[in-house]
Amino acid sequence: MPRGDRWLGGGLVLAALGWVWLVQTQIPDPGTTPGPRGFPRLFGVVLAALGGWIIAVPSLPAPAPERRPDGRSDRHELAGAGGAFGVLVLYAFLLERTGFLIATPAIVVAAMVGLLRLRHWLSILSLAAGLTLGVWTIFEALGTPLPRGTWIGW
Amino acid sequence: MIAEALSLPAIVATAAGSIVGLVFGAIPGLTFSTALALMMPFTFGMEPVPAIAMLLAVYSGGMTGGAVSAVLLGIPGTPSAAATIFDGYRLAQRGEAGLALGASVLASAFGGLFSLAVMMLLVEQVASLAIRFGPAEIFALVLFGLSTICGLAEGSLVRGLVAGVLGLMIMTIGLDEIDGVARLTFGTIQLQQGVNILVAMIALFAIPQVIATFAQARDGRVSAPAWAGAIRTELPWRRLRGQWWLMVRSSGIGTIVGAIPGTGGPVASFLAYDHARRFSRRPEEYGQGALGGIVAPEAANNAVMGGALIPMLSLGIPGDPATAVILGGLLIHGLQPGPLFIQNNVDLVHALYLTIVVSWIVIVLVQLWGIRLFVRVLRVPPHLLGVCILVLCAVGSYAIRNAVFDVYLMAVLGLFGYGLQRLRIPLAPVVLGLVLGPTLEQQYRTALILSEGSHRIFLESPFAVAMFALTAAIVGWQIWSAVRARRASA
Repeated sequence: MPRGDRWLGGGLVLAALGWVWLVQTQIPDPGTTPGPRGFPRLFGVVLAALGGWIIAVPSLPAPAPERRPDGRSDRHELAGAGGAFGVLVLYAFLLERTGFLIATPAIVVAAMVGLLRLRHWLSILSLAAGLTLGVWTIFEALGTPLPRGTWIGW
Repeated sequence: MIAEALSLPAIVATAAGSIVGLVFGAIPGLTFSTALALMMPFTFGMEPVPAIAMLLAVYSGGMTGGAVSAVLLGIPGTPSAAATIFDGYRLAQRGEAGLALGASVLASAFGGLFSLAVMMLLVEQVASLAIRFGPAEIFALVLFGLSTICGLAEGSLVRGLVAGVLGLMIMTIGLDEIDGVARLTFGTIQLQQGVNILVAMIALFAIPQVIATFAQARDGRVSAPAWAGAIRTELPWRRLRGQWWLMVRSSGIGTIVGAIPGTGGPVASFLAYDHARRFSRRPEEYGQGALGGIVAPEAANNAVMGGALIPMLSLGIPGDPATAVILGGLLIHGLQPGPLFIQNNVDLVHALYLTIVVSWIVIVLVQLWGIRLFVRVLRVPPHLLGVCILVLCAVGSYAIRNAVFDVYLMAVLGLFGYGLQRLRIPLAPVVLGLVLGPTLEQQYRTALILSEGSHRIFLESPFAVAMFALTAAIVGWQIWSAVRARRASA
């Protein structure tokens, strides 16, 4: 059995047990049948069973992912994942505090310089300004509100 | 009144509604239900025909527009366009975005007009059939829809099932609609509304793709646009010729699903996609850029409109949130849909039919003209497009409920989707679980409430029994096929 499968199956079983425990302890039971706990609990049990299945029955070998001998692709992919997540969380934070008009160009510059390591300032600033104004114009024209910051209010 | 449908104000209102719907549908996060709510005040001062025509046009345009971002960016503009991504986005990546968009708009128009024809000819029959669909029947139909997971599992049935269950689990978070109990919200008020399906779809479809693009850019592997060659923008008439019968079948699925209250476009499009793949001579091409994988969901989700209008006009029951807003529009103009509505308002109803035809003409013309413009997005280098998509994902997630919380939620779900991809767990079944989960649970529990806890209700309906048997047969067949394939490759 591939070692990764055993880890995946074990992880799923643990996650499912944790889920079922949360369902039992966090969701009130008004005494109806099947009640608000019924389906979440059923899904948790099915997930645990599937995790057990993955542990018990070995899967067929998957095609090897494209990798460089020095492992750069894998490292860069994880860095890309962490970076994109960080940028999104930072963007959400800035949207709430400074509003769309400040948060968007700031985050575009941060993503292009920090994540993509670009240094062509003209294209960086053009994209930041163009994207911000483009999205703002469309949303304003459609009458859909964009976030205004609690610090600045733009 | 029929002449009023072809008057200048009605045509202008229809064209404006179609274009607004298209724009809202095409931008992830801006749904056509929002567009309908925003357009409603504009109709207050209008005559009934142009007013209702505008709302109906927003509905048709919005449903069609969802496919534009699905094909070009791999993000569904509306939940109904999620199934279009599987093949539409693949075609776009192969430089055939024009073909994918052309097929999508023609299939959409076909589906919309097909359901209109059904509405005109069989309104009473379909309404009486739809009204017989109680919670037991809808539960059986949705359970059958879940068997689609087997087809979306991308090679590993068990991993597909894991994905489907994860999607079902995510949708149980939030306020339980039947008992009014908070489920796994941990005291967070924002989570009481649950995980919005479009936020989850944006996260699962777009974020893993953006991460891959960023990783490639850091690796120095991306410097040119994803598709640097000529992008084909010709109309796919010749290739669509082989798809007519599939369009008819998918439109039929969409019309019937649309007529059943509580289902809607996403359910119809997944059922039609699975039907197309299952009955295709080359099912292995589905997910790799098969034209049928675009035609079937698009014909079905647009046919939902006519189907949903049947119970709305003939019974006064809205089939989905969009028709609920349109029903509101009718009531504001002093029109009360119900059993005698069509009989008492023959001219008005015929005028509305005509305006739907006009709206489809506008939609097809605008979309076909726009294809050359839309496909230019593929000329943008992927890493720059990735930055734009990241901003659009965040703004789109915010716009759905005007909540920054949804942007955080989208980031977390995006990372979750990326993790699943790395573990070789397919994302499509997760989306299917998200789409079908709430209806599945709600209808099952409603059925049990109606039967006072007796499961006999599920066995008393011949339709439900037939659906259960079909589901069991499909799942059994898929398991048998998987076992056979494993033995052959062992």
